[in-house]
Amino acid sequence: MNVFKNLYKYRELLKTNVKKEIRGKYKNSFLGVLWSFLNPLLQIAVYAIVFPLILRNTQENYVIFLCCGLIPWTFFSTAITRSASTMIENGNIIKKVYFPREILPISVVTSEAVNFIISTIIIMAFVIFGGLGITKYILFYPLVLLAQYIIVLAISFVISSVTVYFRDLQHLIGVALQLLFYATPIVYAADTIPEGFKWVLDINPMTYIINGYRAIFYEQQTPDLIPIFILIGVGILCCVIGYLIFNKLQKGFAEEL
Amino acid sequence: MSESNEYKIIVDNVYKTFNVYLDKANTIKEKLLFLFSRNKKEKREVLKGINLKIKQGEVVALIGTNGSGKSTLLKLMTQIIYPNKGKITTNGKLTSLLELGAGFHPDFSGRENIYFNASIFGLTKKEIDKRIDDIIEFSELGQYIDNPVRTYSSGMYMRLAFSVAINVDADILLIDEILSVGDEHFQNKCYNKMRELKEQGKTMVFVTHNMSAVKELCDRTVWLYNGIIKMDGNTNEVVDAYVEATK
Repeated sequence: MNVFKNLYKYRELLKTNVKKEIRGKYKNSFLGVLWSFLNPLLQIAVYAIVFPLILRNTQENYVIFLCCGLIPWTFFSTAITRSASTMIENGNIIKKVYFPREILPISVVTSEAVNFIISTIIIMAFVIFGGLGITKYILFYPLVLLAQYIIVLAISFVISSVTVYFRDLQHLIGVALQLLFYATPIVYAADTIPEGFKWVLDINPMTYIINGYRAIFYEQQTPDLIPIFILIGVGILCCVIGYLIFNKLQKGFAEEL
Repeated sequence: MSESNEYKIIVDNVYKTFNVYLDKANTIKEKLLFLFSRNKKEKREVLKGINLKIKQGEVVALIGTNGSGKSTLLKLMTQIIYPNKGKITTNGKLTSLLELGAGFHPDFSGRENIYFNASIFGLTKKEIDKRIDDIIEFSELGQYIDNPVRTYSSGMYMRLAFSVAINVDADILLIDEILSVGDEHFQNKCYNKMRELKEQGKTMVFVTHNMSAVKELCDRTVWLYNGIIKMDGNTNEVVDAYVEATK
């Protein structure tokens, strides 16, 4: 409970830090915040061109199908990549000032979540101009987002604190994320996977998250709620465990950095 | 009243050891390699059983030669690092000035940095709004306050940082070796402000080598020598003994 009290006390720091992360990201680039749209758009363009060429029978409305997977994935992968470097980047402050260290991973995940919410405009634009239209199922969007936020936060606690001691993790994460990208139904549909590999998707939490977004925007139906609620429950448990690990490790941060 | 309320800082039999890596293994590959070779690691005991109780309203100086553990003790009080053995308890809102302007963002304006820096000290937006005019006035930055901090001279930088920290309204202030910066005018202003805070009953701990400042501001002085407290008591006596010993 002490954690929440402390976080509440330092809420202004959390707020300014999230703002700084969002604003600082594109600070010195010519196109500025436009990049938060351009980046995913260009990425979608690349995959939308390449994958229909490789996979013969793709989904109809492949671009919408793709961006429902790719944009949530970007949230997941950038949040985790940046969690791995946030302690090292902020080493200067960590060594000099006391503040609840958990502010750092939380602001990374939160700022990426905000970026994701902004990028959702892209999904909506494709859905609207692609002729599918927005339906009442969008009401489930916050629920899926919540599940994703909790899962990402749990991973972020562990990654951000462990990298301080094992800097290799920063590099390993890049490869691991790439592998995970193909183990998640982003560029393909879950049911096109051979029976023998199904289990990979089944144990991957991002499968359920992306299926959730896809149900909302692409298939336009109620998402499978049971896995989402299970994810929220498991995610909260993982957050607690992740925080305990983080808390144990954070005591040595100032000396290790 | 219980004991813990009377004392603002209680340092109870604290030991701190640093691992000094002569050749630090940061990556897994290096760690594996080091498994087979001797890991050049040295344990350095910086603090050896420190006991210290500081009451509400006391202004205490920590003195000692370089490497005696003063700054380490201050860092332990701030909770930046943690003791290997023993316990440190602090009661009340604590602000530490270990380095001026830690966490300033060079691209942001002075004003934005005030918000950012003060929020690191745990202030809410409302509380900062209330203090911002005082902070700007104290810093004497005037029109420069809206310029990016990277354009500041080191004196301006330091004035801004000090103004934020001093106006945070903490119960306990920990200050490490920073009073020697700035021109005489600003230094005097800082001393006056600190005297004012002292009258308000704030608890302060200084680390400094400036003995005249110690004599002027502090009632009590703690002399650290090689990680133990060599002397603790009235400022004049301790400072005189220290000056005598280091001659």
